[in-house]
Amino acid sequence: MIELLAIGEPDAAAEPPVRAVPSDGVTVLCAEAPEGERTADDLWRREALVERLLETGPLLPVRLGTFVADEDAAAAAVAGRGAELRERLEHVRGAVELSVRIQPAGEPGDLRARATLLAAAEAAHEALAAIARDSVERPGPELLRAAHLVERDAMDRFVGRVRELQHAHPDLAILCTGPWPAYSFAEAR
Amino acid sequence: MDKILAGPADLGPFAAASEPLGDALSRRINADPENVAQGLAQLVLTIVELLRQLMERQALRRIDSGTLTDDQIERMGSTFMELDRAMTELREQFGLEAEDLNLDLGPLGRLL
Repeated sequence: MIELLAIGEPDAAAEPPVRAVPSDGVTVLCAEAPEGERTADDLWRREALVERLLETGPLLPVRLGTFVADEDAAAAAVAGRGAELRERLEHVRGAVELSVRIQPAGEPGDLRARATLLAAAEAAHEALAAIARDSVERPGPELLRAAHLVERDAMDRFVGRVRELQHAHPDLAILCTGPWPAYSFAEAR
Repeated sequence: MDKILAGPADLGPFAAASEPLGDALSRRINADPENVAQGLAQLVLTIVELLRQLMERQALRRIDSGTLTDDQIERMGSTFMELDRAMTELREQFGLEAEDLNLDLGPLGRLL
């Protein structure tokens, strides 16, 4: 069993344990699947592999737990989708994913107080989306959870803006994590 | 791996919303013959919880747009509190924790 890690450009290179399988004008990057039940450590190891690949070129990370029998099956998994995947690779080129989660800083309060907080969180989201190449709101237990596709050069500016927004809204708690591979932008929407 | 680029000094507000990775990995809807009622209750309550969160979010947007009277807001507030209490009671009857009311939708992420 091998696990698919990411889709890269046709010339994407990989060093062990990652293998590069060319198919339909893209490269499927994969590795031998770990045996048995997954642990949190396995996930971080996988994340580290994908992040190292990210340093070499644009990447579409594959959803966790995508297994195929062998390299032929890995090639078949993207056959016929090359053009679409190359377009997606262009979309994420030179950019990383930053996650932004916003919660009330203190007790949530009554409905009216929460409505004001949600509006402030959405305004903060818009301000950050203006710096990003692409943004998507995701379902989650927080007041607001979003993923932003941010150009590497704009990362400092983005994080600076997060700090400014946090400073301007002491009633909100804003958490920004990354840089991540473009997990939320790998599929066309 | 340290991935926090910017965040409040106190991460408390996010603690309730994030669970240990191991818990998320082992989460399953329980469909054993003995526990089928609990498994079904978990599924149904998850859907109800989703609707509750959607309704609440919609309500927050309407309140913020200023189209509701104080009286309406007051009534909505009590309704949500009552709903919250009813959900907690049902959960306890079936021995479910708040974090059990969620589903992993694969590529779509977590339901709630």
